[in-house]
Amino acid sequence: MTEHDTGDNALLEELRDMWLTYDPPPSDLVATMIAAVAAAELDQEWELLVLVRDSAEEAAAQVRGLATARMLYFTVAEGWSLDAEIDGDQVRGQLLDFDGDMGSVEVVVETRGSAAELWRAGLDEFGFFSIEARPAGEVRFTVHYRGNAVSSRWVQL
Amino acid sequence: MGTMVTMSERSRAEGQPDESPWSKASGAFIAWRSGDARAVDELVSTMTPVLWHVVRAYGLDRQAAEDVIQSTWLGLVRHHQTIADPQAVASWLITSARRGAAAHARSARRADPVEDESLHALIPDVESAEALAMLDDEAARLWGAVASVDERCRKLLRVVAFMDRPDYQSLSQDLDMPVGSIGPTRARCLAKVRTALAKGGGR
Repeated sequence: MTEHDTGDNALLEELRDMWLTYDPPPSDLVATMIAAVAAAELDQEWELLVLVRDSAEEAAAQVRGLATARMLYFTVAEGWSLDAEIDGDQVRGQLLDFDGDMGSVEVVVETRGSAAELWRAGLDEFGFFSIEARPAGEVRFTVHYRGNAVSSRWVQL
Repeated sequence: MGTMVTMSERSRAEGQPDESPWSKASGAFIAWRSGDARAVDELVSTMTPVLWHVVRAYGLDRQAAEDVIQSTWLGLVRHHQTIADPQAVASWLITSARRGAAAHARSARRADPVEDESLHALIPDVESAEALAMLDDEAARLWGAVASVDERCRKLLRVVAFMDRPDYQSLSQDLDMPVGSIGPTRARCLAKVRTALAKGGGR
């Protein structure tokens, strides 16, 4: 480093200190931003895995004799979807149109309240998963991939 | 030891390298993406003050600066999966904040074409004017010297002062300068500040 560079860096450092001292961020700025991020994360959770079809709301499923199985179909703005079926002590499903490595995906099924439990499963090469679980009460699906977590809202079973 | 030591002195004493906001930010970002929900608070606490200085470099008042910073964070929540290298999260945030600030400054200029640029830089808003009254002589000289140089220089210096490794590529787009000229421009801008200081603060 030349003497000149050293002088420049020292002056820049002085300027930095001046701005730090005399134009500091408002004292509540960090707290405001933490709250904004927390609210945005909540919105994301509610928004991301959107329930678009629920067999409980389709009389046809009952007529076909599938009354014991609950079928839920979620989509994501990015274009892929999650098909899930809760039947007795099995939760099965498939990730569809997912443009990524199926091996890196983990599906989490959760219940809350007094019956709170959590089950995890990976996908096979076709995007299928199967979990031995008997969720009760309210259930939520979360898909983890590449450090991302995409959740559905809580669905009453 | 019996005497107060700063964090950095303490970490040096223990043989630990100082943790820069940049490595703190990427550490928190990695933790957040792997499921630690609280880690995002640390990321926000570490980077919000840096974003403040970056955005204020564009002459935004307090409210506009807060809006741009908030949009930057909301953008991160929405698009963080597009950041392939977690080490780059600080650069990503700074670039996003700079673009938001530049866009805001452009639209504000269109809305108020007679705005006095140099006055604006000297006294960004009322609250800072109060702070200005508290400047000691040395700081007042420095503040005046910076205010007397052209807008592009002021912007470049303040952004560069708060960046770890300035991303000259994206800076060049925002400031409308060729990449190769940013280093020399930084030196020229500092020379202008030095000249203004020599003239007695430029005010």
